[in-house]
Amino acid sequence: MKTADGTLRSTIEQLFARQVESLTGSAEFQALENGSTAPDQYDAFIENVTRAHLRSPQLLAFLFALAPPAAAADLQHNLLEELGRDEESERPHPDLLRELLKGAGLGCRLATLEAQADEDLRRIVVDPLLYRSLREVGLVALAEIVAFEYMLSRVSGRIARALGTHRGLPPAALEWFTHHSEVDIRHAQQGLADLEAYVRYYEFGDDEALTLVEMALRENVFTRRYFRDFVAAGAGSSR
Amino acid sequence: MKLVAATVYALRIPFVESFSHSATERRWSDSVVVQVRDDAGTVGYGEGAPRPYVTGETVETMFEHIASELWPRVAGRPVPSADDLDSLAAFVPETGLAGAIAPHASRAALELAVLDCALRRAGCPLAKLMPLRRSSVFYSGVITAGPVARAVQHARQMRAIGLSDIKLKVGFDDDVARVTAVREALGPDASLRLDANGAWSFDRAVEVLHGLTHLGIAAVEQPLPRGPVEELARLRRSTPVPIMVDESLVTEGDARVLIAAEAADFFNVRISKCGGLSRSLAVASAGLSAGLGVQIGSQVGETAILSAAGRHLAATLPAVAFVEGSFGTLLLAEDVSVESVRFGHRGEAPILTGSGLGIHVVEERLRRRAVAVRELTAEE
Repeated sequence: MKTADGTLRSTIEQLFARQVESLTGSAEFQALENGSTAPDQYDAFIENVTRAHLRSPQLLAFLFALAPPAAAADLQHNLLEELGRDEESERPHPDLLRELLKGAGLGCRLATLEAQADEDLRRIVVDPLLYRSLREVGLVALAEIVAFEYMLSRVSGRIARALGTHRGLPPAALEWFTHHSEVDIRHAQQGLADLEAYVRYYEFGDDEALTLVEMALRENVFTRRYFRDFVAAGAGSSR
Repeated sequence: MKLVAATVYALRIPFVESFSHSATERRWSDSVVVQVRDDAGTVGYGEGAPRPYVTGETVETMFEHIASELWPRVAGRPVPSADDLDSLAAFVPETGLAGAIAPHASRAALELAVLDCALRRAGCPLAKLMPLRRSSVFYSGVITAGPVARAVQHARQMRAIGLSDIKLKVGFDDDVARVTAVREALGPDASLRLDANGAWSFDRAVEVLHGLTHLGIAAVEQPLPRGPVEELARLRRSTPVPIMVDESLVTEGDARVLIAAEAADFFNVRISKCGGLSRSLAVASAGLSAGLGVQIGSQVGETAILSAAGRHLAATLPAVAFVEGSFGTLLLAEDVSVESVRFGHRGEAPILTGSGLGIHVVEERLRRRAVAVRELTAEE
């Protein structure tokens, strides 16, 4: 499982890279890019992206509360940026997702998606805890957030182009994606450092930490969030 | 109380990751859910998971069997009061299905729906009919088929969430390496059992099990295909690893034959496979009376409905060796109940105490996840 240089950070980065490669190599993603996705599945994709990230500020606030001193400033900055309260931000990121929906003519779905995102968040609190303590819960949540930053810094420009070309979305509606393609390369690198700081501060062993990161990602965290129902529509195989 | 309508849903709920064993690979749940409604508007839900290689049912035959054989014989008839499990179970007629060992998934789905409906109407939990002997249940983890490295990864993940009972799918060329690697990842304290899903021949079973004896295997499930029990009994005498039967144990008749032949150490009792709660209880009780251990098993991809029923069954038995299921959203992209049935740390899950099966099914989710829906009325 360890990489050539043997560091936890590089191992996790390789894990993220493999998942990004798996996402972009998936039939669903390729159909999105080449325009062969059905119109209603473009809509489903847009809704899934919105649902996955609409409550990111709340998750970041939770992670800020658990942040080790070495990562607190980064997480605070990310939180303020999500909320549109840092020096560089113009708008809260959830507002950009609302613009995405409106631009796609899916504004009528906003209330439903907000309710689903709230329920996703509520589930984290009310479902039985799989892990021994908050220490593990925090690592799993941080790993997922950083994984998405890593993926979006590399792929969100491609998604924006696909949605612009094949779904006809105007640039203003795609700002959530274009914004992430600009800022998340920095975030992703910071995030990997923050993950490592978290692991060291809370005294995880490398194998233990890696196992928990793998649990956060499972087979592919990106397709699980962004293409959540596509398999039900007939993709994939079953015997 | 009379049943006036039923709705049958063939579900397709995607998994968050694929699940494989020697007999099949699954990427989505293909359960069939039955909703019944009585003359007061009370609804109840049941579920069956058709498996061609277990009971001989498919989604299509199950759908048709419920609609044309089972429903017409319960529709409009007075349902017994919610005082006695056997009376309620007997309300569901005995039927046969050509080409199937028994139409047990169909029967289980309707029996559970009738039980749920009758108990809800009376405002009683299932514990009224099946008194509980424990306040929580501890579930096993299951390691799916796939490369050894992936099995080891799963083993580490299960250790991270505190599971102490683990089942590993076997039945492949690399079985010995696979089990050895997983045992090493789990450490010596975890209970490890194997499930071959009938993939081994007699000679292969003997060879593999002899190679694994030193690894402390708690049981091997269905080492041979369903067939003559004498073969299974001979294998049991040939290996120190305890034998658990699954596909060989579908009916109460199977249980009697297996006990008489001394062919098993454990029964794997699954509600959908065994035809409902009443029959599962009878099979489990027969096993326990004969001195066998009992596992309450599950269906891969089952929803909260079968999981809730399985938890009740596990909590009501005087002794239960292992319990499986209740993966909920660990496996399903979305479950069908308001409450989460997923187990928590160490595999622990509390008893469900609400009316009926103890969960609230969200009908909108059934409709959204259904690939086929059939409405039935008392007139059909």
